[in-house]
Amino acid sequence: MHITKLSLVNYRNFRNARFLFNKGINTIIGENASGKTNLFRAMRLLLDSSMPRFATKLVEGDFCRALGDWRGHWVIISLEFDDIACDEASQSLFLHGAGNAEDEVVSRATYNLIFRPKAYVRQALAQLPAGDLSALETYLNTINIDDYETVLTGKSVVNFNDPEVYRNIVGDFELVVFPELINNSDIGIRLPNILNMPNEVSFTFIKALRDVVSDFRSNRTNPLLTLLKSKSGEISQADFQPIAELVGALNNEVEGLSDICDIRDDIATTVGDTVGDTYSPSSISIRSSLTDDSDQLFQALKLFVSESNDGHEGAIHEMSLGGANLLYLTLKLLEFKYQNSNQSIANFLLIEEPEAHIHTHIQKSLFDKINYKDTQIIYSTHSSHISEVSNIESMNIIGLVNGSGEVFQPSLGLNEDQIGFVQRYLDAIRSNLLFARSVVLVEGDAEEILIPILIKKVLGLSLDEIGVSLVNIRSTGFENVARLFDEQRIRKRCSIISDLDAAFFDTVVLETDNAALKKKKEKALSSQEVGLARKVRLDAFCLNNPWVSTFYADHTFEVDFIKSSNESYLKKVVGDVYVQPALKNTAIEELSSPDVAVSGSRALTMANYQGKGWFALTLGKVIDFKVAIPEYIFDAVKFAHGNFNEELIFKMLKHRYESVVDHVKYGREIVERLSEEGNSARKNEWENYLAPYEAGLAEFTPKWNDFNPIVGDIGDIKSHLINDFPVERNDVLLRV
Amino acid sequence: MFVWDDGDLNAEQVAAISEPNNVFLMACPGSGKTRTLTYKIALELSRLDDPKKWVVAITYTHRAADEIRDRIEALGVDTMQLWIGTIHAFCLEWILKPYGLYHRRLMNGFKIINSYDSEEIISRICSNIRTERIRYGECNHYYESRGLVLTCARYRAPLVQRVLNCYHQQLEDNNQIDFEQILYFSYEIISENLAIAKIISNLFSYVLIDEYQDTKEIQYSIVSSIVKASRGRVKTFIVGDPNQAIYGSLGGYAIARNELERLTEVLFTPMALNKNYRSSRKIIDYYRSFNVSPSATVAEGEHADYDSIITYDQLTHKEDLVEIVSRHIEDSIQNYGVLEREICVIAPWWIHLAALTRNLVNRLPQYSFDGPGLVPFSRDNENFWFKLTQIVLTEPSPSMYVKRLRWAADVLNDMELALVDVNLISPKQLLKTVNSISISEEDGLIYLSSFFDEMFCVLGIDFNLYPMLKDHHESFFNSAQNRIDRLRSENAYFATDIGAFRRAFKPRTGIKVSTIHGVKGGEYDVVISFGLLQGLVPNFNDLSVDSAKKLLYVIGSRARKNLHLISERGRFFGRGQNREERQPTEILQQLNYAYDQDFP
Repeated sequence: MHITKLSLVNYRNFRNARFLFNKGINTIIGENASGKTNLFRAMRLLLDSSMPRFATKLVEGDFCRALGDWRGHWVIISLEFDDIACDEASQSLFLHGAGNAEDEVVSRATYNLIFRPKAYVRQALAQLPAGDLSALETYLNTINIDDYETVLTGKSVVNFNDPEVYRNIVGDFELVVFPELINNSDIGIRLPNILNMPNEVSFTFIKALRDVVSDFRSNRTNPLLTLLKSKSGEISQADFQPIAELVGALNNEVEGLSDICDIRDDIATTVGDTVGDTYSPSSISIRSSLTDDSDQLFQALKLFVSESNDGHEGAIHEMSLGGANLLYLTLKLLEFKYQNSNQSIANFLLIEEPEAHIHTHIQKSLFDKINYKDTQIIYSTHSSHISEVSNIESMNIIGLVNGSGEVFQPSLGLNEDQIGFVQRYLDAIRSNLLFARSVVLVEGDAEEILIPILIKKVLGLSLDEIGVSLVNIRSTGFENVARLFDEQRIRKRCSIISDLDAAFFDTVVLETDNAALKKKKEKALSSQEVGLARKVRLDAFCLNNPWVSTFYADHTFEVDFIKSSNESYLKKVVGDVYVQPALKNTAIEELSSPDVAVSGSRALTMANYQGKGWFALTLGKVIDFKVAIPEYIFDAVKFAHGNFNEELIFKMLKHRYESVVDHVKYGREIVERLSEEGNSARKNEWENYLAPYEAGLAEFTPKWNDFNPIVGDIGDIKSHLINDFPVERNDVLLRV
Repeated sequence: MFVWDDGDLNAEQVAAISEPNNVFLMACPGSGKTRTLTYKIALELSRLDDPKKWVVAITYTHRAADEIRDRIEALGVDTMQLWIGTIHAFCLEWILKPYGLYHRRLMNGFKIINSYDSEEIISRICSNIRTERIRYGECNHYYESRGLVLTCARYRAPLVQRVLNCYHQQLEDNNQIDFEQILYFSYEIISENLAIAKIISNLFSYVLIDEYQDTKEIQYSIVSSIVKASRGRVKTFIVGDPNQAIYGSLGGYAIARNELERLTEVLFTPMALNKNYRSSRKIIDYYRSFNVSPSATVAEGEHADYDSIITYDQLTHKEDLVEIVSRHIEDSIQNYGVLEREICVIAPWWIHLAALTRNLVNRLPQYSFDGPGLVPFSRDNENFWFKLTQIVLTEPSPSMYVKRLRWAADVLNDMELALVDVNLISPKQLLKTVNSISISEEDGLIYLSSFFDEMFCVLGIDFNLYPMLKDHHESFFNSAQNRIDRLRSENAYFATDIGAFRRAFKPRTGIKVSTIHGVKGGEYDVVISFGLLQGLVPNFNDLSVDSAKKLLYVIGSRARKNLHLISERGRFFGRGQNREERQPTEILQQLNYAYDQDFP
């Protein structure tokens, strides 16, 4: 038996989430604070026998904050099971309480925790006049958490993730319509008292390895003691008797030590001397109380481990953090194995973030090897090293959307081949995209290196900061990965950046053309054709998918970069690319050409000459805030990220403003130097160049200093920045 | 493994509980039937090796269930995995609660109404029928697996059917179900969802049925479905006495072994307990004249050779009944040294006993009595507030602790059924709350009402918000008030103080006064029975000879030593021209027996 589905409605950061699980190993991946721990807590409330009984009585804080006012709403945690052996007597009690018995053969079972207003509250809600919002509000204000109850039910058939079902069961808060049925069989039926689910299953939860050493110290949480305890009952009398005798003998010997006897005698004498024989105790002895109880004796056992080759075995607190964690994990797994051999109807192992402090290599092999029979393992991670080895078919991704957790199953609806392709792509680096809030897919190194730099320099924001992961597909086979982003699967936005490869020079072959030129023209033509075909293909792929969009460079990155009036940057790196002065001059001349056929060709030649990746690195070093981001690139980032919020816009403005300030400061230093050197021509050039910036700063600085980012109108200050610096290229600002 | 001392059981009893196959056990009166059943349950509990299996025992009354459980606990056997209770409780716990959502009438919750409410509703419907005369009690109804059965004459059936349709509709409108429906709906659920019987059967290791002779067809069907679904894995132990089947008018009957085998698809080993340890040979020989099913009873007890006195009086007028019964009592106590609690007065109808008891109390002030008309409210074991009253009015004491704890668990169970959130209340806490409340009030009903209010206030629950609790509350107090009013109108003085209420829950003392149906399983040195009249014994709705015989068999077999039978004169029935005096029970009159003389 295994869990196939977990539905969370209004629980903690999950407004409405559906997790799907398979037999065997399952992964939950998600960024920090996305709700992985909440998910595990939900499962533990239902299945973990070590959870205190009162834990199922939820509190206000357990309601999803996205609900706004929680009053009147329900929390539903629902588990669905599959693979039920109905002939197995051991499962009968479970089936009795949770099995869907409408059919002759029970194949499905559900088990739900429902936290809802008590019957009288539900009744009162039903009696409110329909549509009377103020009556609803007045009533809701009178209820508190004590008006809530927890019910555990089984045998439900509805899909709790369906908002329609929720409205049916709970009510419609907007229309103020609440069901008259106080007892809706849609939620299933109460579990009989004789069924206590945590007792039926074996369930081990291994929490994130954060402070393992202190866990080893506490008697309650020390996993070694738990293991020893489970064995101490099994020790045979014959095995233990000699030890107990030894302990007895030891006690006697200790008591018999002459020093000990002396002390005892002295005590007796002193008492006698002090209070006299009449009132002193009739006998005094000192006894050694080394225990001969196996349980207590075992508590004195401690683990010593040698990590290095020198043979020194140290106590736990002497171990490396990684070593201690590995040990902890191992002991917990052993504990699970012991438990597993009990008579339970299903085995569940939940592991929270095993990657914390464990070396990458061990992480990789860990889940290749933990694979117990008849055990469902669910672990959460934010490490791409572990997610790489896991199967996307058994994966749930938690994403934060407007502060509330959403769950995606990346493989839903894909066929086997498609899944195979995706998995091959998701190596350690690319699997980042599973954790990302949004994704930009690019085809080559130049984009991979330069897009983050462009965004950082121009907007002052890193891609990480705006939650965009840039993934280099290293080919144009975008669909294999982009397929993950879909209404049915990962509901996060994905931009594809590709080249149209349109020719940027005259491709009409002339008689006069030499062989090389002819070949160049032919090649350009065929690239153009392929590019066009690719556009048709990608456009069709994106059609009707709101989550994926493709953005095209007209030609290719380097050409489009120079086309966006960025020739000055290319000129700056000519010296890094070429050594011969003649070649340098030609290059600079060509790059200055207004004809893109000339300048573009040179840009491309330089890139190819140095290698596109290296060239991008070189170019990256000289790019500053004045660079123009090619339109399609900005569009792609904007699509992935969505609209920029005020906070981000403020950061951009701040960055732009401070860049101008620094730039002017830098310019002034040069002017000073030139003035010292007496180079008045260059000095005047610079002064003229700086004049509009300085005028702009004189206008803008007071406005900026007065601007209050909390109450001020960000649009206002933005237009001031644009207007006060007319010489700046502000098109990006206009578009955020 | 549970073992017993040599003297605990006789050879027949040992054979019965040791039989590995399913057992179909006929037990004659006084043969230690309950004892055998108790030991069998203890034995099977000790044999359980699966912590997820239950031994299920179905008894006829709550009292019997309580008593058997107490006895098993006294034997030192853990009863954690014992489920024991009435068939109604069984259906509720194992079928309706967990599987109610598979029945149209139950899927959205249900409230259970008790017999008092049923009577109220049906009476109201009857009185609204203007065209014809019909009243409650004229016709019994019960369910069989193929549907509703009416016990009245065929020509009355259409009218009765009309009343019942109306009644059932009203129950449905209010989401209520009555006792008969508990059985019928359980049967429907289990017969329409094949998986259910199988699942439930996997939870049981043994099913034991007590008093099978009073079990209805639909009850046999329910239990059989479960046994059948287990394909013989669940073993069955069924015990009873066909000669004591006195619930025929409600559908109870002693099933034949082959019919049971057909239903369950397993074979039963027929066995018998034929040694009567209770009565004298003379008594046994007398009551066996009313055998309907052959039995081979042997007198084995200490009174076997006692020279019993058996009298039959057809002359006494009902006005002199108090005097005659009093004289029998005085005679027994003064001349035969019989203890008060070893005397029982039996009659077929409650109403006759109620009047008589109060007169006996006045006539014999030196003796104490235990009987109807002395308890100010009905013992309605299905009413939530009655169950609570039981806890409230019994003194907390170490010996009662386990029992009260059980009752408390039962009360919490009911609260849960009524949709109260009881997750955070344990039976212990509930008891503690009950024990902590003190009310200074003399009037019984006011006392209880204030007690309940106070108690629920402490628990922080407003019971008026839960329909089932509210309904039961009304029903409990209304029926108690009605009863008190009715008794008062018949008699000037009637104790309604809280002391009288409390006494109702004290272990029985004094002379027992009981109906024939209420005396089931009891035994007394002296039995005095009146009302042995045609129309009463046998009852007008089943005038068969067998029905009368079984009633007389039950009366006779209660006595250890002496038996006094009275067919009093002066009881009339019918109206106007049709008014007639009731005649002595025919079968009794026809019996040719040399009775002893009254008061020699």
